[in-house]
Amino acid sequence: MVERRIVANGLSRAFSPAAGVRGIDLAVARGEIHALVGLNGAGKTTLMRLVLGMLRPDSGTCAIDGHDVRTAPTAVWARVGHLVDHALVYGDLDTRTNLVLAARLHGVPRARVGAAVRDIVDELDLGRYLGVRARALSQGNRQRAGLAAALLHRPTTIVLDEPTNGLDPAGVVALRSTLLRRAAGGAGILVSSHHLDEVARVADRITVVNHGRIVGGLDPDGTDLERAFFTLVHQDDQQAGGAA
Amino acid sequence: MSGGADRESSVRRDRADRMTGTAVVVEARKTFGSRVVLTTTAALVAGIAILAGALTAAGRGGNERVLDRLGPLAERTGWDLLLGVVAQITAPAALLGFGVVLSWMFGREFADRTVGALFALPVRRTALAAAKILVFLGWGAAVATALAALLLAAGLMIGLGSPDQGVLAALARQHLLALLSALLATPAAWVATLGRGPLPGIGATLGLIVAAQVVVVAGAGGWFPVAAPALWAIEPASVTPVQLALVTTVPLICAPATLLSWRRLQLDR
Repeated sequence: MVERRIVANGLSRAFSPAAGVRGIDLAVARGEIHALVGLNGAGKTTLMRLVLGMLRPDSGTCAIDGHDVRTAPTAVWARVGHLVDHALVYGDLDTRTNLVLAARLHGVPRARVGAAVRDIVDELDLGRYLGVRARALSQGNRQRAGLAAALLHRPTTIVLDEPTNGLDPAGVVALRSTLLRRAAGGAGILVSSHHLDEVARVADRITVVNHGRIVGGLDPDGTDLERAFFTLVHQDDQQAGGAA
Repeated sequence: MSGGADRESSVRRDRADRMTGTAVVVEARKTFGSRVVLTTTAALVAGIAILAGALTAAGRGGNERVLDRLGPLAERTGWDLLLGVVAQITAPAALLGFGVVLSWMFGREFADRTVGALFALPVRRTALAAAKILVFLGWGAAVATALAALLLAAGLMIGLGSPDQGVLAALARQHLLALLSALLATPAAWVATLGRGPLPGIGATLGLIVAAQVVVVAGAGGWFPVAAPALWAIEPASVTPVQLALVTTVPLICAPATLLSWRRLQLDR
């Protein structure tokens, strides 16, 4: 049985001397929710893109379920769910059609598509919006539809970039329950967020990214996450300033 | 041992075939669920038929301005005039319409930012890109057929009488002209991918149309694949089979190039 869903070793990708990520080592275990936190532009999204093969690294490797992402077979990708940048949701199509297409693209057998869509609609409370074109949905409901498209095939490796963006409190609670349930079922989850309180509620591990590097971790059970976060970031900024 | 390897290879092949079929189903739903495609289809088919029918009717009625614009075609009459006018209109209009739709099919993924969601799936990006091209060609064939049928109806409606063998042959050439125009639009897919949006693809299509006009005026149209089908549809003897066959070089270069670009795609800009 695979114990580590995601393993990244020495991942680097530079866009300019100041942008990109450098030498990232990261692992997400089976049943673990691993949160990435950092300021805007810290490199969280770039790191997630590297993990999913959306970017090719300048150096380093990444594996999902033990398979290098550059050569992973389709069976591995059928067990991955992600929402990074933008959801698998097309504005011209209604929510139901979007979810059916997402199920097909994630490799759900045709006979099981209907059940997969029904289950995720119930789980994320999307029933009222099934017949609504995605373009007409509010930002929050569109985000819910995107999360549904990313999770309806019961992936065992989940990568979500700022998944609570635009969600109302009910949506945040629904997502939290879903992630905790999926992790309890053995999924490995990599999630980024700006909301430290929210991260603390779900994450087993919190990693801080700054200027494209991992600069430390936070204790999810710690008392003042915000202070601990800024302490790490400021220390790193000072070291970077000193080195320059 | 070998049997196991064969079975594994067969399973992989089955899965790949299934995924390619899935890609075609998904792309067809996306394409035909879009108002862009439905509107372009209506504009292209009805627009060409109405414009050609109106110009022919005006020419037959002796409208001097229209006859002046028709140039050498003004000497023709009946079905010959209608199909000559249609060939002239279809060449740029169909290429533009096909180019717009193909640019949109590929470019929308970048403009709508859905392209990121097409990574890390069991369906490969190359399968999705190939499915887009297949769906586009299927749609193009349907548009070409609908256009030929509508032209026949338009000719009958303006009183051109029953079409003879020659007219049916010209209609068949018109049908093939529209099909070849769909093949000639394939650079739009590649340029929309490289330029990451619909506009570069549409720009490339307009560039091809302008280039065809210039080359025809310069007298070398037969050797320019973008211009050859229209010249052939108007005057079959003016284009050799070799010149017409050169049209296939455009999709044979641009379709694989598009697939390669999708295979090598990165979200790096």
